[in-house]
Amino acid sequence: MTVLSRCLTLALALILALPLVGPPPAPAAEDVKIALVAPLSGRWARQGQLKKMGAEMAIDEINSQGGIKALGGAKIVLREADAGDSVEKAVSAAQRVLTREKISAGIGSWLSSFTLGVTEVAERLQVPWLTLSYADSITERGFKYTFQTSPVSSQQAEQALDLVVDLAKKNNQPIKKAALVGDNTAATVFFFKPLREKLLKEKGIELVVDEVWTPPLADATSIVQKLRNTQPDLVFYGATNFPDSIQVLQKVKEFGLKTHIQGVGAWLVTPEYVTTVGKELLESIQSVVASHPLKGQEELVKKFVQRTGEPFMTQDPLCTYAHVWLIKEAAEQAKSADPKAIRDALAKIDLTTGPAAGALAPGRIRFDDRGRRIGAVPLIVQWQKGEPFTVVPTALATRPIVWNK
Amino acid sequence: MASELTQYVVTGLLVGGVYALMSIGLALIFGVMRVVNFAQGDFMMLGMYLTYFYAVALGIDPLLGALVTIPPFFLAGLVLHRVFLARVTGGGDPNREMDAQLILTLGMSLIITNATTMILSPTPRAIRTTYATQAFALGPVLLNQARTYAFVMAILLAGAMYAFLTRTDLGKALRAAADDPEAASYQGINVRAMHGVAFGVGIALVAAAGGLLATYYPIEPNVAVNFIVLMFVAVVLGGLGSIPGAFVGGLAIGLVQSLTLLVLPLQLQNVGVFVAFLVVLYVRPQGLFGRRARTV
Repeated sequence: MTVLSRCLTLALALILALPLVGPPPAPAAEDVKIALVAPLSGRWARQGQLKKMGAEMAIDEINSQGGIKALGGAKIVLREADAGDSVEKAVSAAQRVLTREKISAGIGSWLSSFTLGVTEVAERLQVPWLTLSYADSITERGFKYTFQTSPVSSQQAEQALDLVVDLAKKNNQPIKKAALVGDNTAATVFFFKPLREKLLKEKGIELVVDEVWTPPLADATSIVQKLRNTQPDLVFYGATNFPDSIQVLQKVKEFGLKTHIQGVGAWLVTPEYVTTVGKELLESIQSVVASHPLKGQEELVKKFVQRTGEPFMTQDPLCTYAHVWLIKEAAEQAKSADPKAIRDALAKIDLTTGPAAGALAPGRIRFDDRGRRIGAVPLIVQWQKGEPFTVVPTALATRPIVWNK
Repeated sequence: MASELTQYVVTGLLVGGVYALMSIGLALIFGVMRVVNFAQGDFMMLGMYLTYFYAVALGIDPLLGALVTIPPFFLAGLVLHRVFLARVTGGGDPNREMDAQLILTLGMSLIITNATTMILSPTPRAIRTTYATQAFALGPVLLNQARTYAFVMAILLAGAMYAFLTRTDLGKALRAAADDPEAASYQGINVRAMHGVAFGVGIALVAAAGGLLATYYPIEPNVAVNFIVLMFVAVVLGGLGSIPGAFVGGLAIGLVQSLTLLVLPLQLQNVGVFVAFLVVLYVRPQGLFGRRARTV
């Protein structure tokens, strides 16, 4: 070894050892880590992107307001994991993010099928999990760590049917024939099941078309042809895959079909629908969603629009925004970042004020033994002049509903 | 019932026309280079985006835009072949290992999809055309205008491709390189250059198919997954590497998807395709147009 190389080795060793001998860093509150497992690639990546926007907005607000006060101003940090486009990928992402480091709580994973898998991992690892997914079965497995803030699919189906039947009657256009058109993802399946099995019969409504597919849909001609042949008064519509949904809507226009379209989920009220099919085709199409900006949330929406460049705010960012704030409240009440303590706090929580409660109608957050939010009500959102507005319930609506065929 | 059947047949053919054009490029690449190009669907997606940008930035109608995607993709194909594929394809030697090219094209697919998601965002885009939501009415049978135009263009492009392969010296050289690379090289044909041409033409065709698809289908980074399996099925159904086979295979898939709905629920639409696929392979293991020796 030459003198030069010895000097270089010594210098390198000193550089590497320097951090070990320096003064210890000032004690700081440990960050509270929240996992977001959402599809950030694949056919549902857009929804994952929207969820992430909502989470980041809430985290920035919380951290800029001093973090979690009960934990000495601890900051919240987001650990995102890509759920991809299959249940296997979603489960693997959850497994990875929850075992790599201590995670206080998790959020996700948009598609009910993914959430069913991801919550199994969270339950096993005892990490509280908040979800906006709709499927009933998410909270029918006796899990202690899963909290579902949305009204479940069957409940949405029942309430949505009541609402539209009532609206139709008021407008002297009673619903006699209905159709179910959608894919076989979990939330749609659970929404259609009670309608198909009992709810439509109970209202004396004939089910004239029942078309369900596995995404992607090759062509919508056969579906819309059946609708044209049977002329239903109302179509319950659940096409979560964007290209499938666009194909059906384009075909509806092509065939000149006039019917009420009642969507099942927030996928039908995203901004890209306007640029893809145009606001004329969307006019007065409705969708049942778990949350959407309500009367009094104008300032929040304005902030979101300024921050993200999105034309409006929808369920996905709004729910995730609420979930992060809810975890913050639970951590404050638990005075701990421990996942079990946060789980216990969530189970006991009863929030009526603050950003989380304000974002989820009717403005109160508490959970039953299964982890379902007590009193959660679905909203009906309607496209009007290229923008979706909350129209039901009327007390929280940002626009009156338009009912014309 | 007769008009309903006609509607299903017409719809199936219109859907199959674009599948056919997508599949031809894949068949050409496989036939000449013996490369299984897993990134073919991603080049289709890039063709959709290029057509979209032509429409948005230059106001070019997507039907024309689809054609204008051909030159840049052909050049890109030549470059990609030179830089990457030529290193792993072994000059057409049938005894070489296949692993490297499989991993290469799969890797290209992943990089293209994810880079597009990062750069262009996962937000779907669309070219709004009036013909996407209008139909030609033939009595009670409706032909979607966008799909009809796309079908006609696909037939014309496939015909041009066939004429190129059978009537031009370059086309004949390509076929010679596919039939017997060693004998072709003895005849003074630069097999490596032919591979470059095949890859360039192959991805240019699928990019054009993407452009036609973009007249009625939303564009997103992940759109390839909706079509790549069908492309492979069409190529194998038609006979590996056969251009007319891939064309007929693509049409057959569209037709089977549509006609399946007359007897099976919508959920089982693709089951019909795979059952037909298995039946054809059982009866003719080399595919509809396949021969013992692979050729274009």
